[in-house]
Formats: sequence, structure tokens, C-alpha cells
Amino acid sequence: MYLSKRKLSPEYVKKTAFISTVFLIVIFTGFLLAFWSIQIVNHEKYKQLAIRNITRVVELPAPRGMVLDRSGAVLAENKINFTLYLVLENVDNLEKTIARAGFFSGKSLADIRQIVETYKKYAKFYRIPIKSNLPRGTVIFIQSRQDEFPEFEIGMEPSRTYPLADHAAHVLGYISEITEAELNVGSPGTYGLGDNVGRSGVEKQYEKFLQGLKGSQTVIKNSVEKIQQVDSEITPEIGDTVVLTLDLKLQEFVENLLGNENGVVAVLDIATGGVLALVSKPAFDPEIFSQEMGREEWQAIINDPQKPLQNKFLQGIYSPGSVFKIIMALAGLQEKLITPATSVHCTGSQVFYDRVFHCWKPAGHGTVSLYTALQNSCNIYFYNLGKKMDIDTIARYARLMGLGAPSGIDLPNENSGLIPGSAWKMNTFHQRWFPGETISVAIGHGSLNVTPAQLLKLIATVALRGRMPKLHLLQRIERRGKIIKEFVPEFYRVPIVEENFERVIEGLFRVVNGEGTGRAARMPGLDICGKTGTSQILAKDNPRYKTLTREKRFMPNSWFVSFAPRNNPQLAVVVLVENGGDAGAIAAPLAAQIYKKYFENERLL
Amino acid sequence: MRDYFKYFDKLTFILLLLLPIIGIFLIYSAGHSTQETHYLKQAAWLLFSILVFFIVFSLKIDFIFRKAFALYLVLIVLLALQIVMGVTVARTKSWFRLWGVGLQFSEFVKVPLALYLARVLTQFELIDGRIFFKLIAIIVLPVALIVLQPDMGVSFIICSFIPLVILLKKIKPMVLLVSVLLVASSGIVGWNSVLKPYQKDRIISFMNPAAYKTSTGYHIIQSKIAIGSGGLNGKGYLQGSQSKYQFLPARHTDFIVSVIGEEFGFINTSILFFIFFLFFYRQFRFNFMNDEEFYFVCLFNGLVIFQFVVNVAMAIGFFPVLGISLPFVSYGGSSLLSFFIGEAIIFRIKINNYLA
Repeated sequence: MYLSKRKLSPEYVKKTAFISTVFLIVIFTGFLLAFWSIQIVNHEKYKQLAIRNITRVVELPAPRGMVLDRSGAVLAENKINFTLYLVLENVDNLEKTIARAGFFSGKSLADIRQIVETYKKYAKFYRIPIKSNLPRGTVIFIQSRQDEFPEFEIGMEPSRTYPLADHAAHVLGYISEITEAELNVGSPGTYGLGDNVGRSGVEKQYEKFLQGLKGSQTVIKNSVEKIQQVDSEITPEIGDTVVLTLDLKLQEFVENLLGNENGVVAVLDIATGGVLALVSKPAFDPEIFSQEMGREEWQAIINDPQKPLQNKFLQGIYSPGSVFKIIMALAGLQEKLITPATSVHCTGSQVFYDRVFHCWKPAGHGTVSLYTALQNSCNIYFYNLGKKMDIDTIARYARLMGLGAPSGIDLPNENSGLIPGSAWKMNTFHQRWFPGETISVAIGHGSLNVTPAQLLKLIATVALRGRMPKLHLLQRIERRGKIIKEFVPEFYRVPIVEENFERVIEGLFRVVNGEGTGRAARMPGLDICGKTGTSQILAKDNPRYKTLTREKRFMPNSWFVSFAPRNNPQLAVVVLVENGGDAGAIAAPLAAQIYKKYFENERLL
Repeated sequence: MRDYFKYFDKLTFILLLLLPIIGIFLIYSAGHSTQETHYLKQAAWLLFSILVFFIVFSLKIDFIFRKAFALYLVLIVLLALQIVMGVTVARTKSWFRLWGVGLQFSEFVKVPLALYLARVLTQFELIDGRIFFKLIAIIVLPVALIVLQPDMGVSFIICSFIPLVILLKKIKPMVLLVSVLLVASSGIVGWNSVLKPYQKDRIISFMNPAAYKTSTGYHIIQSKIAIGSGGLNGKGYLQGSQSKYQFLPARHTDFIVSVIGEEFGFINTSILFFIFFLFFYRQFRFNFMNDEEFYFVCLFNGLVIFQFVVNVAMAIGFFPVLGISLPFVSYGGSSLLSFFIGEAIIFRIKINNYLA
């Protein structure tokens, strides 16, 4: 039952229309204001948010710079490391995939499951690394059948390689991935997670040059992080090429020469201060640090009592033994306490301060002058010289000749060694210096500690009659073929008169050429000057003690420091054979072979 | 016939066509990165809707009003059937496939319900308790069936008839008070027993989008980023990164305003709003009318305006995300067809007034 339709008055309709219009105006004005606020007032904010939504900056690692020897032979370079990745998104049958992954990587299925489990919380398209250093054959196999294995991806990353394996390892050093803790303290921006950083040797010393300049890629991604396109790219720049003074042929020769002995051999180009060869044994293969390394492997290297990672050339501290007599002779001459004519009678032993001190030759050397004392390394002569000096004078000359301070070679973490003195003893032991201790120091024993680097610098300074060279390994650094840094030889004049050096050199000449302790290094046609040193054996509580064979435990370290030729010296060599025994018989002949090899090559012999 | 052409509101009709045409371009942009073909379907729906528009337009108004109640009943039955045997699309049963075409019956409730309500409104002067419950029953019956689908968006939109009938008629103060209490209590009941967890999430996240950044508040944030990043002139057609790289959810339906905001900027979005404004304004202009037609025009216009306001408010975070499309513009054939049928009746009423 409907009522009949009634006409409404035009006024009523108009009124309704008017109210609706007012309502519409209010609504639309409100919307316009709201859109104005979002699109105009806050435009910049939302624009940035929109850009942040879609852009991701992906870092492109820079290949590390190469390290070359003086003639351009490669000591460290990069290779491509193939890594096997698994992408869960493309997996059809997980069990099948795990079996395949095990087959490709050689890992156990349990290991693969473990890896997959670890990455479970990541997005499905994340690339799960299964194995790095994939063999080339496997890479080719997978890539040629990519459509059969869509779930696997092969990644290519640059990886450090050292063609010499464990040779020159201590010079080159090694690199490893930066840790999160280091990232937190370091300056931001330079390094990121996954970056490698030089840990020792040249890799650490010239890190700044070798690391190169990272590139980056700005990519556009969609809401599920799939890359849609590359927006812009800054190509990475390879690190600089570091050319060393090292001579690869000589280095290899010395490496083989030392064989299985532990110790240090270093060869110096006196004219420039450049190191031609540097061997520290035992060594390690730096490449293992660039690969996947387990915790146990790492612990094994770190805890090895032989300390293979230590560069003994500049980190090993040793008693210099009779090599120190060079300093004593220089000090005595410069202080005018002795002349070459000063003589002492050696009977094999002598009493100083109520204690008997022995010469190494129980029968004694008879009457010795400075030259014969050096030649035969007579202890009695130097005990007497030591008695004339106080310890602080000896320490002063030792320092003048570069002991007690880092040699300054361009390698990191150098040791200073130790020069004892009265102040040092008071500070360390709260005791005054006893004059009897000076007698031991006079033949290089007591608390004296030196590094082979310091002795190499010392003998080079003697060879140059008081001009102390700056030791260095860097020849030059090249960037895109241009030299950006070149080493300029530096010398420092030691305040000891040249004449006194000549006198010491006469003694050192006789060591080799006058039937002295270093006669095994004698070589016809080459005037080799040198000094042997036989230093104290290891203490029982030294962890290295246990690693030695029974007979070796009682063998002293053998030193031979030398240079040649006598006039216009070219080459300085330091040889240290740990627990080698008689220096004249062990260390000196090694040096002789190095001279022979070098001067034959140079056609000077 | 000449007169029909002369008095036909051609400008408003052009505006009516302009909106879905703009919509088809926006739907294309929203879907082109994922190779969707929604725009083609929408174009087909538009052609069909225009055809239906003229069929409805040619019918006699009295005939339409006389069939209103029957249509209303048929739709109630269809909705009930759909619940029993409906196809589940995107967690709802509101889509019904007929000859391969998805039909959303809930959308078709709008016109018959407005017609039937208009008819009922002519039967009294004052809303007393009895009449009030009758009106509520007429509205709530389809709403309840649509809620069960569940399609919160459409049921919410249809609920806008409740305040509209109260505004159109005088009401007893007591009844108004009861109705307010009723709305409040049904809100509480609805929240606790009817709304599904994801629907509640949407409403909660609207209150605090930042706290729901990665889940439901995400829609609002991404929509505002899209609109805001468009700036004055927009990023250009098909160039909206929010839309292209799928940060914007429901781009072709609920958030189509965000697509125009991002790609065409403030100026062009304002122009779209102006088209809407002009269209609504003109659909309220009549010389004289009888009451039944007047009520229909008010109810239907009110519903379209309400849906427009809610959709735009949603896109800028002024309203919870309820799944409400932009009238005439958003993708959705049933919705477009339903609106065109309603508009055809209004156009017919208008021309009748001129010719009378």
C-alpha cells in the first residue's frame, strides 16, 4: 500500500542541492589541502623514501694491487676464485639438490644441510655459499648444464694468490677478512664486511696502496628485492703495483740454500739499502689465509711453537754473540782506549772482579792485537776492553750503530731488541749495574738482544765506513703504469771517524781471509769481510726448546755477518742459523755461496 | 526523441565516461610491470556498462520503481546462494563466476536497495520506532549477507544508507538515541565476532601505521610515499616507481588514487578531483521532482560520494584500509556496471523533469 507520489517544491529540492554543494566544497577543499600537504609540502621527504625503497648500492670490490720483484716477476697477484652458491628459490627437490651440492663440493650431505639450515632465515633468493675455490672442471661442468641445475650459481670473486707459495712469505705477508670488531673501531667508509686487509709484511705495510679503490653499483630493486636494472656504476680501480727491491732468483737461491734449517738470511744491496733477499724459516703459505680456514687450522698456526708467522729478520730477538765485538772495537778506537797496536795476552781465561771469564779457545790465543782479536774472535781481548769502559759508553756506541731501536725497514711490527745499561737495570730490576756484567756484554752476551735486521744494517754501516743506509724493500709504486712513489736511498752519517772503520774492516777482512773464524767463507777473487758469532742456547722453559731434537738443544745459534768486496762494497749478508752450532762451520759457508751466486750472476767474478 | 537528445545532460554524461576512461589508463599503468590484462577487461566492462546504461535509461521510471522490491529480493537470494556455493577469491566468496566472468553480487545490491528504500521513505513522514526497525532490517539484511562473504568494503559502503535515511526524514529524538546506541553496540559486537583478524589488523594499523610498518601499516605508508613522491607534476605515465616496482598494494583497485598521485602529480590529481566534484554537483541539480525520485537521487548520490570520500581518505591514511574502490575509476566490472545502472536512472529522472 503505497502513498501516491507527491511533487516536492522546487525550493525544497534547491535547498537540498545547496546543502550537498556546500558539503561537496568542504570535502573537496579538505582533500586538496591534504594532497597539497603530502605532494607539495612534504614532497621531498616522500621522494627520498620512494628512492630509498627502490635503490640499493652494491659495492664492487677492487682487485688488490700486484707485488713484483725488482725485475717484474710476480710475487703476489689475484686469481679468480669460483664459489658455488645455492639459491633456494630455484630448488625443485631439496633432497636432490643437497645430493648434487655434495657431489659438486665434495662436502658431506650433513655439512650441506647444516649450511642450508644456517641460511634458513634469509630470503629465498639469497645466494647461499656452499664452497669456495671450486675446481675449474666443476665450474665448467655446472655452467655447461646450467639449465639442468637452475638452483646453483657460480660466483666469481678475486682472490689473492702467491706464486712462490711459502717462499718470501714473511716479506709479502698475508691478507685476511676484516673482522666486525675492527670495522667498529676503524674509520667508516674505507672497509666493509667481507673486505680483505693486509695483516703482515708488504701486504700490511703498503695496504693503503694495494687495496685499490672500491667501485659501486646503484641498482633498482622491486618490493621483493629482485634487481630490476643497474642504474649507475662506478668501476673499481685496481690497487697500485708495488715493486720490491727483492731479486726473485737470489731469493729462491737463498730459500733453497737454507733448506730445512730454521733461521734467517738476508742480502742487502749496500749502495741503495735495498733488500735483495730475505728468508725467515720456518715459513708459511700466505694463500691459506685467503681461503676458507677453519678455527683449528688457525689455532694450529698461531700456537705453533716454531712461530712460522713471525718474521725472524725483524721480530726475532737473539743474543748477538761475538758479532758485538765490532761495536766494542769501534767504541774502543773512537774513545781512544785502544789503538791497533794495543795488545793483550790470552791464556784461555782471566779473572775479572773475582770471577773467572773464559776464552772460547781453552788453550788461549797468546798475544793478540785488535786485528788478531777480531780475526780469532778472542774473548780475553774484549773482556779487557770492556773493563776499560763503562756499560753506558758501550750502550751509546751500540745505539749509534743502530742497535736497541727498530732498523726502520719498511715492514710492520719490528722489534727493538735490547741494549742493557745502568738506567735500564735500575728501572727493570731496581738494582745497580755490576761491573762484572759489563765483561759479559763486551763479548755480546748478557742481556743484549738484537734482531738480524739490526745486524745487517750494522755491517752495511761498517762497509760504508760510517754511512748508515736506510733499509728498505720498496723500490717503487706504480699506478696505471705511472710511478707515484719511488724509494730514494738515504744515508745517515754515524759520528765515528772513518779511520776507525778502516781498522775494524781490516780485522773483519782477516776473519775470512787470514785463517780466522770465518775462513770457510773465503772466496778467491772476492774480498769478503765478516764476523762470526756464536750465541747462547735456548733456556729450558722456552717453548721452542721442546721442538728441537736432542742434539740440537745444546747447539748454539750461528751468526755470520759480512760484506763484500772490501773496497766499494756491494753486498751485505746476514746469516743466522738457529741451533746451528759452530758459526764458522755453519753460517759462514752459506754466506760464501750467496756471494758466489750473486757475483757470478753479475759477471763480476 | 529530439527532445530526449536536447535535454539529455550531455556534459555530465561526458564526465561519467571520462572517469572510467581515466581509470583504464591508470589500471594499465598499475598492471603493466606484472603484465596484467585488467585494463582490457575493464574496457570491455565499460562498453557493456554503456550499453546497459542506455537500456536502463530507456525504461520507464515507474516500471523500475515497481520492480525495486522484486529486484531486492532476487539479490538477497543470490547473495545467500553465493555464500553456500561461492567461489573463494582472495579469501572472500564475493566473486561469482558466470559464463567465465566474475560477478560480485554485493555490488549490485546498491541500486535496488536505494530504489526500494526511496519507495519506503515515501510511506511516512516521521521515523518512529517501528519504521526505524523496518528501515534497519531492509538495510541490514543484505549487509549481513555481504559481511558473511566476507566483503567489508561493500557492506560498509551500503551502511551509509542508515545515516542518509535519517538525514532525509524527520526522526523521533528517542529513536535517534536508540539508533546511536545500536550502532555503537553493533560496532562492539562486530569487532569481537564478525571481523577477521586481518581486517582488525587493517583497522588497528590505520591508527598507528608506523608500528605496523612491515605488515598492514605498510599499505598506508607505501600509498603516502607514492602520492607524496609524485610532487606537483608527477613522475610521468608508467614511471611511478612505487607502482612499477610493486611497492603499492592493490594498485588497480583500492589504491588507484595513489597511482595517479604518483605518476601525474598534484595538478592532475586535482583535475581528477574537479571532474568528480563537477559530476557530483551536476547530479544534484534538478528543477522539481516527486519524492520517490528525490529520495533515490539523494540516496544513490550519497552512496557514491561516500564511497569516493572513503577511498581517497584511505589512500592518504585518513581512513582504515577496508577494500573500498574508487567509484567509476578502480578496476572492477560489477562495480562499474552497478554504478552505471544507478546513474542511468538518475539521468532518466533528470530528463523526465525537463520533459514534464
